[in-house]
Amino acid sequence: MKKWLPGILLAAAFLTSLYVGATQIDNFWSALVNPGSNEILWQIRFPRVTAAVIVGAALGVAGLLAQGACNNAVAEPAILGTAAGASFGAVLAISSGVVQVGSLGAIASGTVGALLTTALTFRLASIRGSLSSFTLIIVGIAISAIFTSFVGIASAMASRSDARSISFWSLGSLALITADNLIGVAITTVIGIAIAYLIAPSLDRLSLGDSTAFHLGVNVSRIRLIALIALSVLAGGAVSTVGSIAFIGLAAPHIARFIYGPSHRLLVAHSAIIGGLIVVVADTLSRTIAQPNELPIGLATALLGAPVLIALVAFKNNVWRTQ
Amino acid sequence: MITIDEITIVRDGREIIYDYSEQIPAGSITVIVGPNGCGKSTLLAAIAGDIAPDKGTITIDEMHPILTPASALASIRAMAVQNQSFTLGFTVREIVEMGGPSEDVLQALGLTEIADRLVTTLSGGESQRVAIAQAIAQKTPVLLLDEPLAGAGPEETEKLITLLRGLKSRYAVLLVEHDMQAVFALADRISVLAEGRIIASGSTADIRLSAEVRAAYLGEEEVPC
Repeated sequence: MKKWLPGILLAAAFLTSLYVGATQIDNFWSALVNPGSNEILWQIRFPRVTAAVIVGAALGVAGLLAQGACNNAVAEPAILGTAAGASFGAVLAISSGVVQVGSLGAIASGTVGALLTTALTFRLASIRGSLSSFTLIIVGIAISAIFTSFVGIASAMASRSDARSISFWSLGSLALITADNLIGVAITTVIGIAIAYLIAPSLDRLSLGDSTAFHLGVNVSRIRLIALIALSVLAGGAVSTVGSIAFIGLAAPHIARFIYGPSHRLLVAHSAIIGGLIVVVADTLSRTIAQPNELPIGLATALLGAPVLIALVAFKNNVWRTQ
Repeated sequence: MITIDEITIVRDGREIIYDYSEQIPAGSITVIVGPNGCGKSTLLAAIAGDIAPDKGTITIDEMHPILTPASALASIRAMAVQNQSFTLGFTVREIVEMGGPSEDVLQALGLTEIADRLVTTLSGGESQRVAIAQAIAQKTPVLLLDEPLAGAGPEETEKLITLLRGLKSRYAVLLVEHDMQAVFALADRISVLAEGRIIASGSTADIRLSAEVRAAYLGEEEVPC
């Protein structure tokens, strides 16, 4: 039962999210089994809820890769500057008129931004020699703050409406998702998850420290680079499409680890499912609790994810020993 | 066979290892002893391929560790580091299986009873045994062990000595160890390092009789028999 629970909950949340909203859908079950029969269900809600699953999966696995590659319990795209870099890359390309929101171009720009800022975080954190968790986190927070400011400045200066608002880039929204701009984020998510699955056994060995991982046959710098690229592709695709959504990258892998243990092969699938579940629930809450207004989804994910994280840390567990 | 040919390792402008040569044949146990900070662990790290010597060469079965890809190197040498820490809650069995098939090794090291325990709950001595088991499970011709008896009680020490002696027919074993009683029980050959230089090298009988070793390392203590 434990094995299937998040999947069952995700399916239930998916259906609930399709059903719930400002407009009542008549004959819901009939409309559901007849694709295209109801415009609100099939043109608006279905792409949106599907996007929630994909984005949640992408951010959950991106967080898992960040934690595994850094061997650090609090690493995640937002902490490493990856999410802010993805926002900056996307907002710069969109506001300069080079690409459209949700296009493959915007996703590519976001991915490049994510990759560059993550690389910058790693470079600056190791400038005085070996890479420590402490310096990585401090530098990551600083890089994140700098690029979040750049995003604010760039979006305020942008004349194009589709450069979105600072609220979109810092708190996220799935409101403008369409079936068309789902394809790009679906592609980057599948690529990133496939890479994560392939390098998962090496991430298991990396948890024993760089030296022991090397003794076991892991090319540590290469695996770390591959993980960095994969997490940038995942976070870049998600953030450039729906903005930054907090806590998924941190909470989803920890919840998955708490339930299923530390094996990264298992965690790739379960972090994706739990990430998807949190975002679907958060999106449903964000568009229903303050009707007719819609809250930024980042507010709901923070409210859902943060207490779970506090609970995991507060209760003694041996899944991730931090001291 | 490990061949170390006149290597020098410099760190922060200081010669940690100077002009060191040694041949460690298959089917033998060689132990490096010496005071803290004399370069023993650095030497082991260089042989494992973690660091490159500044001068000289190291080969393991004709392969240069520093030039060999990590995956290929893992099939010719295994190493158990000192004070292995575990951050993720894998079971003992899962950790050993990262090296290779686990059942025989778990049994040989007396780990069967704790095979399903999380490594994050182990004592220092148990963690050390798990690290050794993982290295042995790699089934490589060369086994490098950094203070394998650290944290072990008298009974565990005796078991590990018996196990390591049993392994030597299949491996070239090189280890760094402080426990001189265990060193004399284990070693076919002992090298004594002081300030990065070999001050004596030979059989256990040679080392026991070496006045230089007594003066530099063992002090006035009687060498255990």
